[in-house]
Amino acid sequence: MGKRFSHAPDGAGASRKRIKIVHEAPTSEDIHASRQLQQLLAFSQDPVRARHGLQSFKVFLDDLLNPESDHVDRPRILRDYLQFARPADDDEASAYLPDIMQTWSYAGQINNDNVMSAVPIVLALLLKLLSQSLETVPIGLGICRTLLQKRQQELIARNLSADKGKAFIISPTLRMLKEVVSFDGGAVARPLFRARANTLKSLARNMGIVHIGEEAEDLKRPSARTNAILFFLDALKFLQPEAKKELLCQRDIVSALTRDVKQDPPYLVRTLLQELRSRVLLDDKLAREAKSNLLNASTLTRLSALYQYRLEARGGVDDEAPIADVAHDFLVTACTNPACAVLRQDSGFYPREIDTNTAISPAELDDLGLEAIVWMNKFKNEVPVRNYTLSNFLPNLRPWSSVKQSELITSIFKVAPELVANYFLTNKSFTFEPKLSATWIGYAAFLFNTVTLPLPNFFCRGAAFSELPPPTSIVIDNILPLPLNQKALSRSLANKSNMIPFFATRILVVAIEKLDHAIKMHQDPSHSNKTVWAEAARRLVDEFCQRSPGIQEMINSYRSIPDGDILHREAASRLLRLCYEVLPQVALMAKFDVSPFLEKALGRLSTQASDDPRDSALGLKELENLLAIAGYSPGMRWFVASEGMLLSPFTLLLKVCVDAPRGVSLEAIREILNFIAVEQQLVPANEKHPGLLVLLDALQSLRHSKPEAVVNIWSFLDNCLTRCANTPVKYVEKMQEAIQEASDLTGQDLSGTIASPITVALLEQLPFAAAKENGTVTVKALGIFLPKFLGLSVSAGENRALLELIFTKMTTHLADNKGKLAKAGVPKGLEFEYNKRPTAAGTKAKQSKAAASAAAGKEDSQPKQPVMDVEALEETLHVPDGLEADNSALVKWATKTADELVDDGYLTSLIALLVSEHASIRKEALVSILKAAAKIKQSEYEEKDQIWLLLSELAETARENNTINDTPLPGPIVAFATHALTVLRDPLSSLYGKVNSFLTRGPTWALDRLPLVDETLSEETPTGSGGPSSRDNPYYAQINWLLSYLIDALRTPQDLELFHRKRARGPVLERILALAANPYMWLPLRSQVLRLVYRATGIEGGSTTLTTRFGIVSWLEARHAGCEDGDGDGKEAAMLGGLKRRVWETCDQERVRVWSRGGLGGGRV
Amino acid sequence: MAPAKKSDQEISAEFTSYYLQRATQEFAEDLDKVRAADDFKNDALQILVSALQQGTALFSPEEQRRIVTAAPLEDPSKK
Repeated sequence: MGKRFSHAPDGAGASRKRIKIVHEAPTSEDIHASRQLQQLLAFSQDPVRARHGLQSFKVFLDDLLNPESDHVDRPRILRDYLQFARPADDDEASAYLPDIMQTWSYAGQINNDNVMSAVPIVLALLLKLLSQSLETVPIGLGICRTLLQKRQQELIARNLSADKGKAFIISPTLRMLKEVVSFDGGAVARPLFRARANTLKSLARNMGIVHIGEEAEDLKRPSARTNAILFFLDALKFLQPEAKKELLCQRDIVSALTRDVKQDPPYLVRTLLQELRSRVLLDDKLAREAKSNLLNASTLTRLSALYQYRLEARGGVDDEAPIADVAHDFLVTACTNPACAVLRQDSGFYPREIDTNTAISPAELDDLGLEAIVWMNKFKNEVPVRNYTLSNFLPNLRPWSSVKQSELITSIFKVAPELVANYFLTNKSFTFEPKLSATWIGYAAFLFNTVTLPLPNFFCRGAAFSELPPPTSIVIDNILPLPLNQKALSRSLANKSNMIPFFATRILVVAIEKLDHAIKMHQDPSHSNKTVWAEAARRLVDEFCQRSPGIQEMINSYRSIPDGDILHREAASRLLRLCYEVLPQVALMAKFDVSPFLEKALGRLSTQASDDPRDSALGLKELENLLAIAGYSPGMRWFVASEGMLLSPFTLLLKVCVDAPRGVSLEAIREILNFIAVEQQLVPANEKHPGLLVLLDALQSLRHSKPEAVVNIWSFLDNCLTRCANTPVKYVEKMQEAIQEASDLTGQDLSGTIASPITVALLEQLPFAAAKENGTVTVKALGIFLPKFLGLSVSAGENRALLELIFTKMTTHLADNKGKLAKAGVPKGLEFEYNKRPTAAGTKAKQSKAAASAAAGKEDSQPKQPVMDVEALEETLHVPDGLEADNSALVKWATKTADELVDDGYLTSLIALLVSEHASIRKEALVSILKAAAKIKQSEYEEKDQIWLLLSELAETARENNTINDTPLPGPIVAFATHALTVLRDPLSSLYGKVNSFLTRGPTWALDRLPLVDETLSEETPTGSGGPSSRDNPYYAQINWLLSYLIDALRTPQDLELFHRKRARGPVLERILALAANPYMWLPLRSQVLRLVYRATGIEGGSTTLTTRFGIVSWLEARHAGCEDGDGDGKEAAMLGGLKRRVWETCDQERVRVWSRGGLGGGRV
Repeated sequence: MAPAKKSDQEISAEFTSYYLQRATQEFAEDLDKVRAADDFKNDALQILVSALQQGTALFSPEEQRRIVTAAPLEDPSKK
């Protein structure tokens, strides 16, 4: 008799302690014979005796189940007993173990808890033992069937529904049922389930009887909940699909299953998840209804609590994944695998309610555009979804505090894109307000992941685009989700930490990339309703601009990055570049001068040989981005070294190329350099000539053979390059003279010779080289460099005789004491070592152009398109109305400081209101302007006097003759005022003097004139640092300003009238058109002229006036022909073609036909 | 001797490690502040690391290769 068994090693002990009921310990005795066992278990009305018998049997079974114990002849004793306890005839009604069953029944009658608990304890052990051997299975099955007889069922039900506190009765019963349901491969699972009224009695409640206490649940004393769950899982395992479905449809049970899951012991959680995964989630035979009944939003939410599971033993088993990971895998499968019945098929960006195939008549679409689609604006505040379970579940996750939860949400978004907009609309409480905290960073990371999600194919689930575009609000919610609004992003960009702007920048980069992709999808050629899709694309861009911070803020953010933060600089420059590529109109409005940044980046790269080569490579990425921006923005000063820099940006860039080791990809930089060199006539623009590569290769060669020499020639070379670029005509002429001289000397006809003007510039400057500081070193270095350069020039196809002549002249200045150099002459047969000679030089030139023009990479892969289509034309040439009325300006300005009024555009918005159609608004704006002028005058603002003067004159002009009461002020007057304001803000502007002298000329401005136009245009011979062609010349900066101002000025037929009114030097418009013929004008400036023409075609009667008064068609044709003459760029020609078509489409065609006597309107346009 | 060409995976791993190293260097001060913030607990470190390295997605595999395999820019004056 062992005392150690005085406490039953089951759940009874735990609950006894809890409810403080003292139980008498059962007694027991060792069993030595089958006969003894029969006597012990024989029915007795004495509960103490019955308990003694059962306890002895339990000890006996425990020993048999212990594989390490020496069983002696116990197995035989048991076999004999079971034979004895077997019914004579094995039918349904007969009972196995009749004594035990009777004891149980009697205990039920007299309410003896101890015996009621003891019976299932021994039965569970016995069944467990019997299931281990094939021989004993029939007996076990007999016992199971006996248990399912009505009498026993009622006893089971009674045990199961015992008081909550009596876990010592409930737990063994559940254990016994677990053995029954799994016995012999689930042989009686079906009848057991059929008797569910009894066998599953109170199962849901029993699942709620959890372990209570500070410490984790003891493995050997599982709680009633643990037993209930293990029973339930075994039932799932052995039930047929139909029965399983019914089981899963028991709502109370399914709900109880996960209610307390986060307090369950680790092994139970693992088993639960594993079994649910294999028996429910991935069971193909199980009905979807049953799966979705289990996996509802609340189950998912409770399982998601396992992300914060705390009961894991520290230093647990190594090869086991943490519970959080197991739960994560489970949830990902449940939520993203359509077979699990949670995920439903959505239709991408088209919300649930709409029918994408609703037919809308083409006429209606033409008339109303997007407005014809009733649902287009319907989903701004609410998005109905098909995945309502997921929609309800997602808000319960905390993506900002856990990487895994963030991953779960984004993987759900990926398979159910309809949820993105819905999620952020229903979770408005969490903002993106910047704060240097783990939560903010976690949220930023989550948003970044959301933005990087791909757009669904065709925006829907179909195999092609729908007839109509998806609601713009939904597309934009996927590109810049709601928390990423303008305010939050701007504040993040401007945050004084470094990391917050960095995160915001990265998000914006991926957002613009995604926007670009979305725009391209809107422009897909397969759309049948092209105009509607195009309108939707425009709306998308507008919406984006409203949510994204302005480019100026991005520039400011870039500006404030410390020099050493190359990762950040790279990201910020990439963002700006993307703005120029994807949102050129917005980007160009910012008037961003990229030169200082470019110079800084170049300076860093060419002076600091960084310790880590990867840093330099990253620096090169930044440089590439800046170069691309330089290519897009007009007015880049390539040949002017800014303050503090010894070399011009062009030479610095050249130096970067030369200093870069082999293998570093500099293709983009080389292309830009060559493009500029050809444009500036440093090198011949001939298809067969490799252009600047000659110089580059000679420099690289010198760099490798005599690295110390190359250092000494940069300054000299920079001088030559800038001179040659600033006065190209001079050197072209000098070259012609040299050719003539060579021709006379040799008697050859050299009229068609190709030669680089830079060579003559080198020759011309050589005598001065020696005079400078370190002159001798420079001359010595040049003695090595020049022969190489000239030799390569010969290889490039330049005339040997000519170059020999030039070289002879050079040698007189080249410290050639012994006449060695002169004797050797120009070396022969030099090969290009470092630069591949382009096979077809034409392609090269074309490519480099494409790299620098706004059409980078888009056109050159396609066959040349002579005419741009309507949308592309609009995209390229349409400029938003700069004077668009924003009535809120009347209120906003009042609280701002003088600096904010001028610098942040409040004043500009106020001035723009003077063109409003409503007299009351105009008058109020005028009063506000006067008040603002007074406010500025009293402020500390540096340019306060000039600004006050400007505003006062504007006000005086508006008041004169009561103009403001009768009509809006003319566009030019107002546009001039806004643009003059930008000039006055910047005293370094080349127009600063002009604007000031204009202002001091008189108190009012003539309403019928365009202020300052004459003065700017009349500067016929440009003066300035460079020659006529120099783009660094302030003349072009002024023209650029003028064109922007005139574009804004031209809004109404009355404005157009001012443009074509006769004047002393001819109508303004005529003079502007003549500007485009200036061969030195860059494409960006020429495009500005085209934008002005485009603006005029949008005005009523504009195209007719352009055609009949200015011969615009012939002008466009002439420009087009100019493009095709060698210097052709497909994009400009296409633009001109498109513009011509627009002029025809928008003019009074009948009148023009008559006017041209049938010349126009046929094949010509 | 040209080293064997690295696989995309190796490149990506090397780039990620470089990116993180750069980021922790550039934002050292801010990272210290984040570590001192009230909400820096449990998974916060993991969040921080994963957030920082997200930025590698901005670089295409070719760009990553270019940066990781960059040879040093030599300074001629030092020769």
